[in-house]
Amino acid sequence: MTAPTTARRSRNQALRRRARRQTTLHALPWLAPALILIGGVVLFPVGYMIYTSFRDLTRFGTDRGWAGWENYERVLDLGHLPRVLVNTGVWVVGVVALSIGFGLVLAQFLNKRFPGRKILRMVVIVPWAASVVMTSTIFVYGLDPFYGIINKFLVDVGILDAPFGFLKSPLPGFLSAMAVAVFVSVPFTTFVLLAGLQTVPHDVLEAAQIDGANRTQTYWRVVFPMLRGALAVATIINVINVFNNLPILKTMTGAIPGYDADTTTSLMFKIIQSDRQIDTASALSVLNFVVVVVVIGIYLRVVRPMRQED
Amino acid sequence: MRRVIKAAAVATVAALGLAACGSESGGEGGKTELDLLVPIYSDKTKPYWENLVKAFQEENSDIQVNLEVQSWDNIYTVLDNKIQNQAAPDILELDAAGPAYGSEDLLYEAEEIVSPETLADIEPTFIDSAKIDGVAYGLPTVASTRALFYNKDLLTQAGVTAPPKTWDELMAAARKISDLGGGVHGYGMPLGSEEAQAETSIFAYGAGASWESDGKMTIDTPEAREALTFMKEMIDAGVTQPDPGATDRTPLLDVFIQGKIGMIQGLPPIVGQINEKNPDLNWDIAPSPTPDGEPSTLGVADYFVGFDKGEEKQEAISKFLDFFYQQDNYLEFNENEGFIPATKSGAEAAADKPELQVFLETLPDAKFYPATNPAWGATSGAFKDLVGQIQSKPVDDVLAQIQAKADAPA
Repeated sequence: MTAPTTARRSRNQALRRRARRQTTLHALPWLAPALILIGGVVLFPVGYMIYTSFRDLTRFGTDRGWAGWENYERVLDLGHLPRVLVNTGVWVVGVVALSIGFGLVLAQFLNKRFPGRKILRMVVIVPWAASVVMTSTIFVYGLDPFYGIINKFLVDVGILDAPFGFLKSPLPGFLSAMAVAVFVSVPFTTFVLLAGLQTVPHDVLEAAQIDGANRTQTYWRVVFPMLRGALAVATIINVINVFNNLPILKTMTGAIPGYDADTTTSLMFKIIQSDRQIDTASALSVLNFVVVVVVIGIYLRVVRPMRQED
Repeated sequence: MRRVIKAAAVATVAALGLAACGSESGGEGGKTELDLLVPIYSDKTKPYWENLVKAFQEENSDIQVNLEVQSWDNIYTVLDNKIQNQAAPDILELDAAGPAYGSEDLLYEAEEIVSPETLADIEPTFIDSAKIDGVAYGLPTVASTRALFYNKDLLTQAGVTAPPKTWDELMAAARKISDLGGGVHGYGMPLGSEEAQAETSIFAYGAGASWESDGKMTIDTPEAREALTFMKEMIDAGVTQPDPGATDRTPLLDVFIQGKIGMIQGLPPIVGQINEKNPDLNWDIAPSPTPDGEPSTLGVADYFVGFDKGEEKQEAISKFLDFFYQQDNYLEFNENEGFIPATKSGAEAAADKPELQVFLETLPDAKFYPATNPAWGATSGAFKDLVGQIQSKPVDDVLAQIQAKADAPA
């Protein structure tokens, strides 16, 4: 009895496997555009970037062959790398934390019913909708010590005695750039969190009220935990965006000599534009990529934001 | 900067080898076709070329000129594509990156594409500055040198009777003007990333420095040290605007035009900008001050080059370029763009324009960037990123840092 049963079973399995393979094959034409897209805009560039980082390229882009770890060594040998890494940490953590903080407050506020809410919600989008280069340029002019309107205002109000060169030295320049980065990140963060707030069911809030929870308790014990998913999305996307942000630093602190106000991303740009070392920049770019992946990995593991609350 | 990068990109393509250039042959009905690619300097550029081509074709019915104008932002990419597709223009106007194609054997020599009379009329400084291995490929179209713009009212108020000729006089004058107070600064020193290499070169060339010697970049030299040390002294003495290291050129020029800066080095087209933005400004121009008053400054020029695509078009190219260099045509071009003519006859004709006088006088003593050296791109980039640090770091460290970047293998 056993032998035929086994035979039938294995035949069944083979049939099923063939059917599955056929289904996959049939699905392929429908999946192909998506696969090609992912391959073309995600996998190929990443692969090519890694490939370039191991090549010896001339400043004109001619490939002179295998370079081994030379490009990586050159990156790690840069004397200013520690400072740039610290800057990058401060930049990412600072900007993302502040954006999330402001975003939470603003989302809570925009979730209330009040006259003109719709208009205000639209106004909040503006910094997000405007071109980042344009926004930063406006701040560059506004903060100019000679004719900047922000400087003039601060002097007229009496906060400053004389116009201050906000973007003329590394520390104030970097902090000003961070402020602008927060300014342009807050709208997106707010709207993700606002969407999260709107998924909090009314009956849960009612139940909390019946159980006698005060407002603070309701927020931290009921609403905030339910925002986990939204917070995760807002954090991860902000980390990636802020980490890779070039335009703000390029526009606002680009004129400052040296590397004291650079993050790894703006340093990469200087290596390409000023030093003409495409290969070294590729190596730094790969390191950047690894760092982002690791940071997000740690975040997902430690905070476990995707865990469902029951 | 962008120009330089794109130039490098173009050079890449060239380097990747275009041994075989397509022969897009001579056009219909025995007409020779010439593709002309030029950059746009201002609103007047395109109409100028359209008119010039029309006038030329009326005189030479056997030559057809296909004009293409491109912005400075685009021209390198466009040229890049053209060369890749083996459709290089016959005549190209570009900065010093143009003659650099000579090293790839893509160009006619300068003497092949223009008549000896025209060639003899061109100021030799400009031709020499763009030679590749001793061979001239480029014919200068527009030229500019730097000179010291000064605010006459501020100088008078500060009791400075004549514009400074030497560095000591510059320092003294800048100090007196800064002492006026009221948001006025003696000397405008833009060492921000926009064009720090220019400001540095003016002083360093004045001190006798040269950024290149025997094909090698020579940045960390006693002459350069002397120049940067003087610049640092000016910064430390507080006679410049605050934070020169992070001040870009264009915004600072606006401050000069607003009358808040005593002296600043500038290009000829700035004359037009002042007339447009603040015609009431009481200003004048003097040669750039040097350590001992010996004339020297920074010069920059753009060039015509002819691509040799194996089609024997030298004669047609030469006819067109001779037509361009005819006194009236050539002067109109320079007048439109506010640059100074690079021909001797043009300079004579322009000599009665008082505002160009000083620039013309400094022309023979102008020194150029070693832009035909492949290492200049990274060197110039290093100047832009790093030289502003002299504000806070020792001059020797900064020069060593730039020298290291210039020497970096590429």
